[in-house]
Amino acid sequence: MPTEKLIQLLLEQTRKILNQAEKLKDQDLVSLTWREAPTSWNILECLEHLNLYGHFYLPQIESKIAQSTTKPEAEFRSGFLGNYFAQTMLPKEKLNKMSTFKNKNPLNANLDKSVIDEFIHQQIKLLDLLNKARTVSLNKVKIETTLSRFLRLKLGDTFPFLINHMIRHFQQIDRIQAKRKAA
Amino acid sequence: MKAILELSQKTITLERNEFLKVKGSIDTNVYYVDSGSLRAFVLDDYEEQTIRFGYQDNFIASLDSFLTGKPSELFIQAIKRTVVKVISRKQMDSFLQADANRKVWIEVLENLVSQQIEREIDLLTNSPRERYLRVLNRSPQLFQEVPNRYIANYLRMSPETLSRLKKVKS
Repeated sequence: MPTEKLIQLLLEQTRKILNQAEKLKDQDLVSLTWREAPTSWNILECLEHLNLYGHFYLPQIESKIAQSTTKPEAEFRSGFLGNYFAQTMLPKEKLNKMSTFKNKNPLNANLDKSVIDEFIHQQIKLLDLLNKARTVSLNKVKIETTLSRFLRLKLGDTFPFLINHMIRHFQQIDRIQAKRKAA
Repeated sequence: MKAILELSQKTITLERNEFLKVKGSIDTNVYYVDSGSLRAFVLDDYEEQTIRFGYQDNFIASLDSFLTGKPSELFIQAIKRTVVKVISRKQMDSFLQADANRKVWIEVLENLVSQQIEREIDLLTNSPRERYLRVLNRSPQLFQEVPNRYIANYLRMSPETLSRLKKVKS
């Protein structure tokens, strides 16, 4: 895919996510902390889960871009693993549940609305990094995953992976809101 | 102007603080503000600088993207609930095939250039009080529609300075 086309797509997806978060800011704490069952996440916990991933990836992406001496390329070719990772993150028609890692599970973390501010702050950072990514090779810069230092994704696969993960949990947030209305 | 609006086949509704455009995107549309208001700003290392406002019955665009088809640094964000009509570059191009239409568009652009010169003088005016009075005289509407903190940022002064200046006036 042409690199600029990919960046435009990712910027637009991030814009939509940012707008969904802005809308959540206008909701009261009762709806933001409502949970369907004792072990299911509320809306703030979904966002905090995303924040935990952001804490891991965004600073790393920033420093890898800053340190890189690679040149931008017109084409990005998805890696086998990266493409697989990004695709499995996307929600399917029929809900495919996934389990989370213990250190990324914010259940009952007693959160307040500052979680939304942090999330929005991270999206502004992500936009900034998508812009900075234009100055390096999305093929050659590699990002370590939370799974292992040795399991690395191309920068151009890391962004869709992160964004698809957010899209997945915003669908979860939509479901939580629908269930609360029905309850 | 009405002829340009009639080109539009799409409207977008934004809630308060929602973004119409983010930094780095290529946005070649022109937007007509049906209701509400927006602000265009740039952001560098977490400092915002408001460049322009879009009010009801006015146009707003990333003019740089519109003209060049390249990415623009601008963010455009709704200050309150806002409805905009979308006019695409393509619609605009076919509209501008006709001579009479080109005349209308040139008027819009000429108007914009003179606004830009006023804005440039604002930015190069040293005295905060002078900057405030210039904008107050030019766009009293701004002070009705837009919260103080955004006006202060637009005027390149702190919100405290702005409210002090407003008191002196009255």
